[in-house]
Amino acid sequence: MSLETLTKSWEPMSYGFLDASAKREIRRKTLKAIAVPGCQIPYASREVPMARGWGTGGLQVSCTLINPDMRVKVIDQGADDSVNAASIRKFLARVSGAPVTMDTLEADLIQSRHRIPEEKLREDQVLVLQVPNPEPLRPVQPNMSIARQMHADADYGRMWLQLYEQIVRSGRVMQGASYPSLVNGRFVMTPSPIPRWDVPKMDMAAHLTILSAGREKRLHAVPPYTRVEPLVFDDVPFRVEDHGRLVCTRSGARGFFMNEIPQEDGTSSFEVSDSELGVKTIHRRDGDAARIGETWYTDGEMAQ
Amino acid sequence: MTAHPAPSEFEARTNATFEALMWALSRPGLTRDLPAPGQAGIVEALLDRECNVHCADPDLARIAAATGAALVTQEQADHLFLDMLPGADALRQIALGSDLYPETGATLVCNARLGQGAALRISGPGCNGAVDVKVAGLPDGFWQMRARLMRYPMGFELFLVAGAQVLGVPRSSQVEVI
Repeated sequence: MSLETLTKSWEPMSYGFLDASAKREIRRKTLKAIAVPGCQIPYASREVPMARGWGTGGLQVSCTLINPDMRVKVIDQGADDSVNAASIRKFLARVSGAPVTMDTLEADLIQSRHRIPEEKLREDQVLVLQVPNPEPLRPVQPNMSIARQMHADADYGRMWLQLYEQIVRSGRVMQGASYPSLVNGRFVMTPSPIPRWDVPKMDMAAHLTILSAGREKRLHAVPPYTRVEPLVFDDVPFRVEDHGRLVCTRSGARGFFMNEIPQEDGTSSFEVSDSELGVKTIHRRDGDAARIGETWYTDGEMAQ
Repeated sequence: MTAHPAPSEFEARTNATFEALMWALSRPGLTRDLPAPGQAGIVEALLDRECNVHCADPDLARIAAATGAALVTQEQADHLFLDMLPGADALRQIALGSDLYPETGATLVCNARLGQGAALRISGPGCNGAVDVKVAGLPDGFWQMRARLMRYPMGFELFLVAGAQVLGVPRSSQVEVI
């Protein structure tokens, strides 16, 4: 053993911002997360130059996966151009030299806050979701040691009770985002605060999803072709948001998840939430070439 | 804008190795290409001083020790690098984790010959239907012993290495010998 073997040559900064030991830890934990779908795996969650709660978990996974050949797309609530998405995209490009894109079809790695793109993801794509609260049991069990035991025992009775109480009180399930879902028939996970609209997209999807919570220091994963079933009662079917008939006022896209924009006269107008899909729809309407991939929903209905 | 850093050779190699391992485990039964043949690349991509490792090959053990990982017995190891298993009974010594902490189950890397030998049908998460593969070089009764020992979510992950090819079998996979 010599000094030469114990040291490495000087670099101005680590490639992809994270140092090698941070990456190795995330690699080990990611492998375990893939092997036990939906199980929350604790990890160290290093500091990144961004405040906790702004996507640091997703960023660390992206920094670990990234290489100069990986094309990156970053979205925030469906939009590529919001401050959070634009900043993370710029950061990732800066620390890795990876090419960036806004087109879902061109991306190899998609980091997302709270949406799954409307165009179907492929087998070679990775979706990294930013997760604020990875623990689906927290509303019913704030003690995380007891919650861990409940996961170990697959003791999810209280989740059902919570849904039942919502139905009794309000006549329907009130859970709007992060709808608790059973992964591979064993672990209940939160799919991160994606709308109910996006939950069916995860079931038997072709792509790999990694969900990472930086502040809470846990990550979990949904491998391709894995069952993801939202918790429902047999006689109260799972319903997605009623957006199937809405039309985007800017692009004319119809049958996708919409952002509601309140108007001065008290009514609402709607805009397609997946901004790049809206852009492509406008290009196509104007006669320009734009390739829109196969979408999960057609005419507001999820293909069976 | 400042120039972005370029990946060092080490970074590029470990990044590519992990990508192969990640996809191997995400799509059980489909082989992936490692950037270099052998198990040494997996050691450098995953291990450091936070790990307990068991290596059968003394040369590989030296490489693993250089990463800072502790060399321990099979029972205590979270990563095992074996050439060939002596018999299916050797699986009894592998850490399976617990229901509370499934991630403490070990990762087993061993050499095998892919594309020949016993026909296996793998199903479970990551398999679009079922995947048929052929694997030779594992002891008799290996898959039966694996199924007997593991009670999901407890279990171990398996990477089979043949030259620069790797095949992953996560604990969530059901493996049937056909």
